[in-house]
Order: sequence, then structure tokens, then C-alpha cells
Amino acid sequence: MFARLVGESFVRNPRRILLAAAALAVGMAVTTAALSVALDVGDRLAREFRSLGANLLVTPQSDSLPLQIGGVDYRPVDEGAYLNEADLGKLRTIFWRHNILGFTPFLDSPADVSYVTKSLVTISVPLIGTWYEHEVAVSDGSKFLTGAKFTHPWWKVEGRWFADDAKECVIGAGLASRLSSAGIGGAPVAAIGSTIEISSRGAGRERIPVVVTGVLSTSGPEDDAILVPLSLAQQISGHPGQFRQLFVSALTKPEDAFSERDPASMTPAEYDRWYCSPYISSIGTQIEQVLPGSDARAIRRVAETEGRVLTRVSGLLWLVTIAALVAAALAVAATSAATVIERRSEVGLMKALGATNLMVGGIFLAEQFVLAITGGAIGFLLGSLLARVLGASVFGTPASLRLVLLPIVLGLATAVVLLGSVIPLRRAARFEPAPILRGE
Amino acid sequence: MFGRLLWRLLRGNRGRLAVALVAMASGAAVISALFNMQFDVQRKMTQEFRTLGANVVIAPAKSFDDGATLDRNLLNTVEMVAGADVAKAPYLYIVARTDANRPVVLAGTWLNATSALRPYWKIDGEHAPFSSEATSCLVGTNVARQFGLKQGSELRLHYGANEARLIVAGIITAGGAEDNEIVASLPVVQDLASLRGRISLIELRVPGTAQEIQAVADRLQAASGDVRVEPIRQIDQAEGALLGRVRLLIISMSALIFVLTALSVLATMTALAMERRADVGLMKALGGSIGRIVALFLAEVSVLGIAGGVVGYLIGALLTIWIGRSVFGAAITPRVEVLPLIVALMVGVALAGALPLRLLGRVKPAVILRGE
Repeated sequence: MFARLVGESFVRNPRRILLAAAALAVGMAVTTAALSVALDVGDRLAREFRSLGANLLVTPQSDSLPLQIGGVDYRPVDEGAYLNEADLGKLRTIFWRHNILGFTPFLDSPADVSYVTKSLVTISVPLIGTWYEHEVAVSDGSKFLTGAKFTHPWWKVEGRWFADDAKECVIGAGLASRLSSAGIGGAPVAAIGSTIEISSRGAGRERIPVVVTGVLSTSGPEDDAILVPLSLAQQISGHPGQFRQLFVSALTKPEDAFSERDPASMTPAEYDRWYCSPYISSIGTQIEQVLPGSDARAIRRVAETEGRVLTRVSGLLWLVTIAALVAAALAVAATSAATVIERRSEVGLMKALGATNLMVGGIFLAEQFVLAITGGAIGFLLGSLLARVLGASVFGTPASLRLVLLPIVLGLATAVVLLGSVIPLRRAARFEPAPILRGE
Repeated sequence: MFGRLLWRLLRGNRGRLAVALVAMASGAAVISALFNMQFDVQRKMTQEFRTLGANVVIAPAKSFDDGATLDRNLLNTVEMVAGADVAKAPYLYIVARTDANRPVVLAGTWLNATSALRPYWKIDGEHAPFSSEATSCLVGTNVARQFGLKQGSELRLHYGANEARLIVAGIITAGGAEDNEIVASLPVVQDLASLRGRISLIELRVPGTAQEIQAVADRLQAASGDVRVEPIRQIDQAEGALLGRVRLLIISMSALIFVLTALSVLATMTALAMERRADVGLMKALGGSIGRIVALFLAEVSVLGIAGGVVGYLIGALLTIWIGRSVFGAAITPRVEVLPLIVALMVGVALAGALPLRLLGRVKPAVILRGE
């Protein structure tokens, strides 16, 4: 009887039901889409921020004071401490290994470059050894592809990059233009494809012939240097298997009041929470633990900005999402209130025929509940689709389907619909059947 | 007569109209808050990117290795070309020696300009403006650790036969080259190095997109002759790309919420129109013309639209201020021009919701009045 009454009301006025369900589906679609986007945005924007390059710098702990001007270290090669290239695979074994998107070691040293124009010319230039695309063997047996391509995405090369194990180099754009203006007449000096000889600074060192494969522009100090594969720089400077600086690009969580505390002052439980959160400071600590004698520090220029913008954007999105949620809820509640108000005469008739308030309320609520589940489910599907489109258009990759949201959305739909119908139903309970049936 | 009928209708349907008004006002509130923010958020976001610091560098055409420096007068040219409101600072780098004959990089700059161009520095100690710029210096955290310096320590630096005495005003943590430097006032460093009126480079923070920055850089290059003017590509490209993403994100969220709120309001209005069939039947039976009935309903709906729009705008303004406070720490001023926009929008949506009224022409009074 009860079920039949509820079913009957669906069949008898399909247009009204359709309208209410449509309003509900639309409202829940916004909710789903907004929630999916808000849940995802932190991760996705953090990934976008990697276009700023590395956010962690690792240097040897017991290093003497670097004499770095314009990015070039003017210390003698034999001074200061070095880190071991062999340890780098361990970076992919730390707790937050999947958050480490790339790392690039650097070894810079002063060098002499010789080339032939009319006679043999030798000039002093900074030599930088690094990786462009290098496969690192991780201790768990897997391989990890990393290098400047990932940590310095704004570097552009004309020609091509050096091969990782070849005797090849790319030269900075500033240096290249100075060299080509130096070559009076004859063939341009150090053009792509030509060969130059590089040696460690000082007389009587071994000169190694290297082929120029490209011209690099970075708008940084590298524009005035020569870049070679790390292994070649190690060979030239006489520091096999070593490097001086490591740039790490990691996905991190914005710093907050908790992460800015000194880990040493935390209780063990707090320390565990800090250690297991991808804060830049905890990832830095984990890197220091696997690279003996290293000092990992956040590059504040990048990390600060990233943290600020991420906090702002996700805060903004959450508030907008909440506002949208409230608006959608009110609109849906209004629609269900309207449907109940509209059916006052039906209520009057039921009561005239002897239905109790409980019975009437039960029928209406059951009807609205069915509506909420159907509308909510349709809304969830629509909203997930919408979130996919939104994710694809803003970030280039569609947002993943979040099934977690389904129960939340269904619960919300039910709550909103019941809330919308309870007020008019309570008023309906006070109705006297007679005036209503008379149409007043 | 028309006015009285309208008033009667509005009063008679208080309950339903209140419900529709709630739906409308809440939608209008969210939409007007989004509109308000569209105007301001992009500017506020651009400001957040200030922490990235300088985005254009002017350096000698030759590399530092050759000991090339710039004339300080170049700053005047820069100010003329780029405008006085562009943050800028000159830097002079030398390698000085401490009392113990240990080499250290000493940078001379306008100490009080560091907060604009190196806003990401974390300084333990005194912040700009410095009480005595001529004798203050900031030391990098590595320098402080290696030389055992702390705030208030005295430091003597030598360059050739010259000597400078400085007081440590603060310790810098930057996670970059600055950690290994001592930063002092430009005249102090120029005197120490006997390089009066010379600088190594100029840094600028040019506001705007990558194209605008490039345009300023080109103009600077044309005006300043034999120097290198280069936008720091790391900063301006990434910043442009990120701002674009954030903007797109906010716009698409706004569009989404806008469309769906409009649809919700539409649904409510349609329900209202359908409900009106009984009234229409009655009025038709009494001999009212269809045009008049429709006009009456449209007037009613417009009143609703205006009321919803105004109430929504007011709530939206409060929402805007609140969001501004809690996200950016500064209120976003609601815009007056959003009000007519939102009212027009709400009236439009309300009228669109009245579309099913076309069906009213087909209403047969007898059937309706029987209650079918």
C-alpha cells in the first residue's frame, strides 16, 4: 500500500518529478565537480610548480665557504668537500621517494679551453659537469631517468644536448657569441660541430678534445660556461665519482605552523607525523640521511612562492566550493519545498480520507528519498564527467574518478532534499483538510 | 488594476515566492562573489608571485670573469625607461678577506631594497629599514656558521690595503648563493674595492606577463647600449604559465558554478510557472486575455528576479569580503558594477524560467478548475 502510493505519485506526475530530479542532479553535479577539483588542485598545481625547477639544494656539509659569483664557484678545485655520485640511487629509496621527480648533480671547476683560429688560442672558462638525461640505477634494481631536463625545464638548447657518455659539450649562449666575435675572418669559432680542447686550469694538463653539439641559453650564469657530461667533468677536474651540488625537484606540501617547528623539539608522535608528511624540511632530512655528509636546504625563492600560492589557491577553491555547495543545496531544497507546497491539496485529500500526519509525511519523505538517491547518482556521474573535462582543460590531464565522493554526494542530496521538504511538511501537518480541498 | 493584481499575487503566494527567492538569492550571491573576485583575484595572485624576486638582470656584456663592471649612472637610464615604480637594485660583487685571511664573497647593494627584490630571504635579526645602513651587514647562514658570527658581532673585511668595519644586523637563510655571502651597503663595498660609481649588475622586478617583461627588457637593451639585459627565464616563464593555470582554474570553476546555479534557479522558476496553471484557468474563465495573464506573470517573475538579484548581491558582497579576508588576508572590495549585471542576469534567468508559460495558452479553464 505504502510502496504503491509512493510509486503512484511518481507515475502520475512525471514532469514534476523530472524537474525535481533534474534540479537535484544539476546541484549535485556542481558539488561533485567542485569537490573533485578542490581535492585535486593541490597535487596538480604542485606539479605545475616544478616548471620553476628544483626546490631543494644539497651541498656537502663540511664544505669550505663557496666563492660563488654569478653562479660560478671561484674556489680552487682541490678545496672544499664533495659528495659521491654512487649514493644518488638511494634518493629513490627514501620514504617520500615517489615525490622526488628529478635530481641533477653539478660539478663546476675552472678550465682552459683551446681552439684554433689562425693560431692556437687558450681562454679560461668555467666548466660545468652535469646530466641532461641520465639513467640512475636505484638500489631496488629499477632505473630512474633524471637530469637537467627535469630540474631545469627552462633551459633551451640550439642544436642538440650532449650524449651522456660521449666527449661532447654544449656552450653557453653568452660565451658562444663572445667566441664567434673573437674569430676574425675564417670559420666561426666553437660553432656547432666543431671540436675544442678542454683541460683543467693550469699549465701542462691533459687536453681532451670535445665536440660542440649545441648552444645553451638559460638566462643564468650557465650562459657563460661550457657544459659537459658529469663523467667528463670528473675526469677533467680529477674528481672521479664526485659532485659538488645536487638540485632536487620534489613534490611538497606547503609549510605550515607545524612544519616550521624545530624537529628536535617535537615529541616522538609529532616527529613521526612530521617525518611522514611531504614537507620540504622532512624530505630534506630524509635526503641528508641517505647522502652521508650532505646538507639539504630548501631553495626559498622557489619553495616560499610555491607554498604561498598553493595555500592561497587551494584556500580560494575550497571557499568557492563551499559557497557553491551551499547555493546548490539551497536551490535544491527550494525545489523540493516547491513540490511539497504544490501538493497541498493532495495532502488535504489524504487527511480527509483518514491518513495520519505520520503516514502523509512518510509517503512524501519516501518519495523525496528515492528522488535524492536517483538525482544524486546521476549528479555524481555528470559531475565526475565535468571534473574530467575541467581537469583536462586546465591541467591537460583529466581528473581521476573519485568514488569516495559518491556516498558523500548521495548523503548530501538526501539531507538537502529532506531538509527542503520537512518545513513545508510540518506546515502541512497543521492543515485542515476542508479549506484545502475547497481550493483555498 | 494591474498593479493591484500584481501586489495581490505577490502577497497571496508568499510561501512559494519566498522559496523561489531563497534559491535565487543564494545563486546570485555565489555568482556575484565570483564576479567580484574575478576583478581582484588575478591582481592579488600576481602579487603572491612577488616572492620570486627579480625577473630581469642587467649585466656587462663580458662575463664577470673578465672583471667587467657597469657605470652606476645606468640606474638613471633604467629608471627613465622602466619607470620609477619598478623595483630595482644595483649589486657589486667582490671577494674580500677576513682578518684570518679567509676569502668571502661580499655583495654591495641598497640594503633597504632587499625586501622588494629578495622577499624570499628569511632574516633572523634586524629587517629593513636598517637604522645605520652604512655600518650594517647581513651575513649568509653558512658564513655565520663558518666564521662564528651572530647578530651584533663586529666584522672586519679587507680588500687590498683597504678595510671596512661592519656590524652584523641579521643572518640570511635563502637556500641559494646568498647563504655564502655577506651583504652590505653599496657605497661601503665600492669604497672597499676602490670602485666608486661602479656596479656588477642591476636586478629589476618588472610586473606583468612574460611578453610585457620581454618588451621592457628590449626597451632597456635599446636604451643602455653595450650591456646584456636578460629576463630571468626560470621566473618569467614559470610565473606566466602558473598564473595562466590559476586564472583558467578560477574562471572555469566560476563558469561551472554560474551555469549550474542558473539552471537551479531556472528549475525553481519553472516549477513556479507550472503551479500557476490553476490561477490562469481561473482568470481565463473570468474572461482575462492570455496576453494580460502572461504579462502579469512576467511582472511577478521580474519583481522576484530583481529582489533575488539585490539580496544576492548584498550577500555576495559579504561573501567576497569574507573570502578576501580569509584567503588573502586583505578584503576584496565588492564592485558596484556587479549589481546591475547580477540583477539583469537574475531577471533574465527568471524570465527564461517562465518559458513554460507558452503552455498556458493551451490551458482549458474547465479541466484545470476541476483540479485535474
